[in-house]
Amino acid sequence: MKVDARAQTVETQSPELDGFDIKRRPFLGFGLLMSSVIGTLAVLIYFGAWVSVDRIERRALAEGVDESQIEGEWWEDGLVLACPLH
Amino acid sequence: MRNAALWLDKKFGLEEHTIAHYAWVIVAIAGMVQMVGAAIRMSFGVLVDPLVEAFGWTPGAIGFAYALMSIVTALASPAAGWLGNRFGARQTMVVGTLLFFLGMMWTSQTKQIWELYVAYGIVFGISQALLLVPVVPAVAAWFRRHLGLGTGIMMVSWSLGPALVVQALAVLFATAGWSQAFMVVGIVGTATLSLILLFFRNTPEDTGRIAYGTRANDNPLITSGNIYVRTQQEFQGFVYKTNAFWNLINIHFLGCVGHAVILVGIIPLGISKGLGPLTAAGVLTTVSLVSVSTRFLAPVLSEKMSAKTVMFISFFGQGVGVFLLLTADSTLDFYIFAVVWAIPYGGEGTAFPVLIRKYYGHAPMGTTYGWQLLGAGLGMALGGLIPGMVFDITGTYTWAIILSAVFSLAGAVAIVLLESTKRQLIPDWPEMEENPEKSPAGAATSIRSDSVPSGQTGGD
Repeated sequence: MKVDARAQTVETQSPELDGFDIKRRPFLGFGLLMSSVIGTLAVLIYFGAWVSVDRIERRALAEGVDESQIEGEWWEDGLVLACPLH
Repeated sequence: MRNAALWLDKKFGLEEHTIAHYAWVIVAIAGMVQMVGAAIRMSFGVLVDPLVEAFGWTPGAIGFAYALMSIVTALASPAAGWLGNRFGARQTMVVGTLLFFLGMMWTSQTKQIWELYVAYGIVFGISQALLLVPVVPAVAAWFRRHLGLGTGIMMVSWSLGPALVVQALAVLFATAGWSQAFMVVGIVGTATLSLILLFFRNTPEDTGRIAYGTRANDNPLITSGNIYVRTQQEFQGFVYKTNAFWNLINIHFLGCVGHAVILVGIIPLGISKGLGPLTAAGVLTTVSLVSVSTRFLAPVLSEKMSAKTVMFISFFGQGVGVFLLLTADSTLDFYIFAVVWAIPYGGEGTAFPVLIRKYYGHAPMGTTYGWQLLGAGLGMALGGLIPGMVFDITGTYTWAIILSAVFSLAGAVAIVLLESTKRQLIPDWPEMEENPEKSPAGAATSIRSDSVPSGQTGGD
């Protein structure tokens, strides 16, 4: 069976949407996606802050000074600031 | 004997299948596009040492180019899917081929680290999206039915192909040097892509054929013209309003984080437990080989039974299976893990096109699939970071394994919350109004009289 693509000039009307859930907003799907994004960011911030504290401690130990005297990188300070657990 | 064969064909639905159909050429081309397009991406590790030696850049700085490429590919995926829908997969892949050539040639002449970032990270990253995203929806367009079979065969070639090419590339890098190797791969890859794209067609109707699995009483689908563009925009609007669209991006992201942690971390984890480098690499190879079986089976089973069930089992198995690594400390333990975990892992990502078809019918899936690959790409990038990060902090991979399980199991929960696949979520994609068998006058379509018998697959 052969079909001539050039002949596809048929007009269609908008489909009937009764019986479909697409008139509502997709709260569940979007909410799940956002939950994953927020959860992932939380994990990244927690582990990132852990890495940052660890790095600062190592530098302080190497230089034989107190941690408060060590100036962190911008991203180390940022992650420690963002994480409520560190 | 013939009667027995016919009975078997009918019993297993085999009478609807034929090898003499151009859809299989499209599947083969899709496999080759992936092989060429993904070859350099898969073998990036081979590139690191020569660049360190040639320019003195750190492995971290070179590795950033790979991370940048992964993120650029992910971010460009929705646009690549849309371009494939709007202008056609073939045209989009031609542009991808040009960028592939530009990226390869520029990378081969790199002298500064920023050049590597632009050439490999951005130009090559965009080419990856343009080559790899539109090809899956294009294959789907060639299957009116039995998309699971087409997807399964394509996914097998996607798994085996790069594994073969990576070995060849490793030899090429070692013998010709990195710069010449990039040039050779760029020229040979571009020539190969150009050649095979000559035979690629976006839709069956482009070549006057019918899609695989079309039955005599099926009306042709709208696949071109202004009405196609307008209808596609309208239907994509419907897709955005479904929960499944957003949740599938989420599920692809979670699943990819889950397995990327293991794929990136398994070799260093094995070495940290006393395995030799070759033995540890063998674990990864075993995962690749065993997963081929479920890469094929998952889409086929998803079409025959509940796609949600197949995906749930895959995600759940992928999540629970990693706990074997918590107690693994011998070669045998690692190889048992490789075999057991590879089965659900192989099925985790290959059923998505079938699920999209079940939810959205024959509406063009380029944009939808592109958005899912955005989730997948970001998941792979994040999952790749986790093992090294966790090891730097704790000195072990235990938390990385636990995180992998958490992400995969969260994906399994999200699958449970997906809509049922028994009912399509949006209206049917419009068909041409007239079927010449029903109306011989056939107003808008011009279908020749050599139609296939009822119930038989339309071959060429």
